[in-house]
Amino acid sequence: MLTADFPWLTTIILFPIAASLLIPIIPDKDGKTVRWYALTVGLLDFALIVYAFYTQYDFSNPDLQLVESYPWVPPLDLNWSVGADGLSMPLIILTGFITTLAILAAWPVTFKSKLFYFLMLVMYGGQIAVFAVQDMLLFFLSWELELVPIYFLLSIWGGKKRLYAATKFILYTAGGSLFILVAGLAMAFYGGEVTFDFRSLAAKDYPLVFQLWIYAAFLIAYAVKLPIIPLHTWLPDAHGEATAPVHMLLAGILLKMGGYALIRMNAEMLPAAHATFAPALVVLGVVNIIYAALTSFAQRNLKRKIAYSSISHMGFVLIGIASFTDLGLSGAVLQMVSHGLIGASLFFLVGATYDRTHTLMLDEMGGVGKQMPKIFSMFTACSLASLALPGMSGFVAELMVFVGFATSDAYSLTFRIIIVCLAAIGVILTPIYLLSMLREIFYGPENKELTSHEVLVDAEPREVFIIASLLIPIIGIGLYPKLLTQIYDSKTIQLTARLRDQVPTLALQQSQKPVAMNFSEPVQAPAIR
Amino acid sequence: MEPIYQYAWLIPALPLAGAMIVGLGLISFNKDTNRLRQANSIFIVSLLGAAMTLSFALFWSQLHGHEPYTQMFEWAAAGDFHLSMGYVIDPLASLMLVIVTTVAFLVMVYTDGYMAHDPGYVRFYAYLSLFSSSMLGLVISPNLVQVYIFWELVGMCSYLLIGFWFNRKAAADACQKAFVTNRVGDFGLLLGILGLYWATRSFEFDVVGTRLQDLVASGAIPGAIAALLAILVFLGPVAKSAQFPLHVWLPDAMEGPTPISALIHAATMVAAGVFLIARMFPMFEGIPSSMTVIAWTGAFTAFLGASIAITQNDIKKGLAYSTMSQLGYMVMAMGVGAYSAGLFHLMTHAYFKAMLFLGSGSVIHGMESAVGHDAAYAQDMRMMGGLRKYMPITSLTFLVGTLAISGIPPFAGFWSKDEVLGATFAANPVLWLIGYLTAGITAFYMFRMYFMTFEGKFRGNDAAVKQTIRNEQLQAMGLAFGPGAMDPRELTMEAAHEEEVHSDDHHGHDPHESPLTMTLPLLILAVPSTLIGLVGTPFHNYFEAFIHAPGETVQLAAEAGQETLSEFYVMAGSSVGISLIGISIATLMYLRHKIDPGAIAAKIPSLYQLSKNKWYIDEIYNELFVKGSRRLARQVLEVDSKVVDGVVNLAGLATLLTGEGLKYLENGRAQFYALIIFVAVLGLVVFSGIT
Repeated sequence: MLTADFPWLTTIILFPIAASLLIPIIPDKDGKTVRWYALTVGLLDFALIVYAFYTQYDFSNPDLQLVESYPWVPPLDLNWSVGADGLSMPLIILTGFITTLAILAAWPVTFKSKLFYFLMLVMYGGQIAVFAVQDMLLFFLSWELELVPIYFLLSIWGGKKRLYAATKFILYTAGGSLFILVAGLAMAFYGGEVTFDFRSLAAKDYPLVFQLWIYAAFLIAYAVKLPIIPLHTWLPDAHGEATAPVHMLLAGILLKMGGYALIRMNAEMLPAAHATFAPALVVLGVVNIIYAALTSFAQRNLKRKIAYSSISHMGFVLIGIASFTDLGLSGAVLQMVSHGLIGASLFFLVGATYDRTHTLMLDEMGGVGKQMPKIFSMFTACSLASLALPGMSGFVAELMVFVGFATSDAYSLTFRIIIVCLAAIGVILTPIYLLSMLREIFYGPENKELTSHEVLVDAEPREVFIIASLLIPIIGIGLYPKLLTQIYDSKTIQLTARLRDQVPTLALQQSQKPVAMNFSEPVQAPAIR
Repeated sequence: MEPIYQYAWLIPALPLAGAMIVGLGLISFNKDTNRLRQANSIFIVSLLGAAMTLSFALFWSQLHGHEPYTQMFEWAAAGDFHLSMGYVIDPLASLMLVIVTTVAFLVMVYTDGYMAHDPGYVRFYAYLSLFSSSMLGLVISPNLVQVYIFWELVGMCSYLLIGFWFNRKAAADACQKAFVTNRVGDFGLLLGILGLYWATRSFEFDVVGTRLQDLVASGAIPGAIAALLAILVFLGPVAKSAQFPLHVWLPDAMEGPTPISALIHAATMVAAGVFLIARMFPMFEGIPSSMTVIAWTGAFTAFLGASIAITQNDIKKGLAYSTMSQLGYMVMAMGVGAYSAGLFHLMTHAYFKAMLFLGSGSVIHGMESAVGHDAAYAQDMRMMGGLRKYMPITSLTFLVGTLAISGIPPFAGFWSKDEVLGATFAANPVLWLIGYLTAGITAFYMFRMYFMTFEGKFRGNDAAVKQTIRNEQLQAMGLAFGPGAMDPRELTMEAAHEEEVHSDDHHGHDPHESPLTMTLPLLILAVPSTLIGLVGTPFHNYFEAFIHAPGETVQLAAEAGQETLSEFYVMAGSSVGISLIGISIATLMYLRHKIDPGAIAAKIPSLYQLSKNKWYIDEIYNELFVKGSRRLARQVLEVDSKVVDGVVNLAGLATLLTGEGLKYLENGRAQFYALIIFVAVLGLVVFSGIT
């Protein structure tokens, strides 16, 4: 009945959006029916995602699969074209997973709950569309589409400064997406044939100068999203004001769009420019790691602290993308998935803690571990995951990036040594801010001022379930990383080969790759810098 | 014998399963799990018992000359990069398995008594089991990455266990300090591993060693870089085995419950550093400069630890510094190439130091009924004295441990310490002199500890002593908070403290001997502490025949002839001599009270203060690193929120204003976008028109 011809991805994208349109007519007196409805839709769509990839997707094939393409607005040459490869598939699964959990995390939302779940379901489809579409105009549209619900989710349900945060978020991201549009159109119109299709765009032969301009434009847009310092300042504000479920989406999925697009467009479509820009990406990555870790350490606001830690972790994605090794690129993808899980879990716990203490300031907490042992232990576990404890996914991802970059033959030895040493400082800084945070929230004698006017109840089963659902893949990947890497690594290998072809010295090497151990490798001539 | 090798993975897996099952129970059915206290502990102890049995079987098989066994599976792969994990059972691994499982087993039995009234009893067992699993995984690791993984995991367990009593501020600070300090070491270890992989394309211990030597010999890698890599790797053991300058976490780690101090911070985890040096011995051996660094670090740490231990009044802190000092001996032994001697000392020390710590726990347990549940009083030796009368078994076993660590024959410590010193003398007489003097100091402070605790008369009801301790404590607190820092928590601390002291209703009794579950492990540990040294006598060194550096042929003393033996008598005689001098001075000062320690302290106040304040290293680090990093972080945040945010906002605003975008934004987003898209498309038309 359901065959390969079935429009899997289209269904996956449109089902939640279509379902969201029914929300206004659902009879919902006490605001409890609609959340079950949304959760059911989320689960069904997630099941659909898993089923589609499990039955229809060939993991060893690096090319685009589940492809569908229908002409949509022929005069504009706009096609509805979707597909999935090793880059988008893990992120689509992640999106389905995190969004469903975010709907569950939004259980206590009672204020305008219909609108809230409507927006959540629209987000669901919009986010997947970003990862699945294979057409530049379509990509731009879905990129924009997913901003609108987030804007409302921030500005209606956020904290005290929600309007400021939402406006800042929309200005930054919309400002960034202008660059996508301009650069995308330029690419589409370049040469004789006008096309928006990703694969045709990637196949075009652009001159280097053109590539560099386009690359820079894309980089600005995605640097806002990922974010890359100094275009990150919207993030602490937005994250500082968002409620827990929105937070989970922001950290778990939206940041990954930046990384995904950076790989999809900058690296895959503009490989020659990538070879030029790569060292800059590495440097930006290191700046992200150290700078954000330091700011996180100094933050006294819990949400902003975690927000900065997200920025810090995204630094590894940048280094991985620019490493020119299978391992590094694979590590970058893994880091995105891993941070999606870990970031979502931490932000959920921050929300859960806030629900009880009603403060985000660390100075006003202290010693709450005694009354909330379950939240304490879950918070500890997720913080340990975030500081890249072995046995959890973050460690594997960072290790892969480290080994990948350290052994990358695209950079000179000195450059590599400096970068690896600096990035490794992050290994010291991360536990400092995360453990200080735990200490200030949970450890020590109880803060009498807090306990006198707040009732601190421990985690309810729903909350334990959400964290458990996130921790199981985190630990599963940590214990056996091949679980995840093997489903996408045919793609990263193919992409790395393409990228390496553009680095002159590496391309030469590729053709005469030594089979045996090469002892002279360490003193090899540098390719870049 | 093959099947037991195939199932060797069960050794770490069994305690892990125990920890997970009990942990899940704690999270899902907290009340019920906590009610079944001893059912949980019996379950966990029996799983560890099974692991111990398996370890003994493997050890027995290795002892009979079974080939080393390796089992691997592919763990991570990307392109042509493959990383395998698995386990290796060789003499070193099997020895470590036996040490870890036996000590862990006895500590777990002991815990039942020590933690009997603690509300976190079950959680404590879960953590203990998790730690045992990680430690066992560490010792059977076949490559550097796996070592690193378990290395961090034992660090995490140590973090959780030091912070077990998380309501105590000191414990909260200590666990963080331990983790972060260890991360500094891991930073080096990680860089070292990466560097070694870059150079040798391998994570295997022996492959790394031989390839690195080949590379240095062929000139492909400068010797200096090889040395740097070796020292980076050594930073890992420096932190884990509490060597100078990363030793600061270990004394503070004593804030954890005493069974933890015995298991993790004396017998097993801290020895992991020495174990790693042993595993990486083929590499270190080939780089003489790194060996020199290792040897001197060890020697200096041995002396530093001993010099601080002299003046400590907290019984656990004293033992902690002694551990640090003994670890220094092991590291020094490794540094001078005395592989077997270092591991021999690791083994004997694991048993006698675990016993000493458990003994100190028993003392604290007994003291608590006399002075209340306040660590400051219950652990202070000035409040003790005369406990031999009340706690005969504890005092007897503590005496055995004290004799063993002081190097009095035939106790275990004598043989191993003497072997270390002998090897050091052959390598470098200056190092030997440091080790030799430290041995004297060790005997002195250990007997000081024994006499202050168990001899004389009980001082637990002495109000003057209590007041002195209280004053010291307040002073320390004032220092920690800074004068006039106006920390609101200062007041709550005070209040909490008062409450804690006064709410104690059942103190004021005499100290009592601990229950059987606590004394039995002490008695059992006394056996190896006394006898295990005999496997490594110079007359017939069974130990060295079993454990020796890879590629090294064993020279038995019998073949080496009479000369070595006579040398041994001279060395042994002199080290026993200096130990006896140390003991005599301790006797005169703390048993007979012929010499007043206070008078000596008053005569050399600067040295006394230096030792008492731990060479001011904590203070220096606090100023340099803790405050420095905080200041830096605050400055970066300032820059971030004032400069970066402002500049980027301004740039964006300027663009918007020039495009009159702001006006359109206020009217609604739709028009704004229409405009943007229109302009962009227009630009493109122009653009394509030009090209």
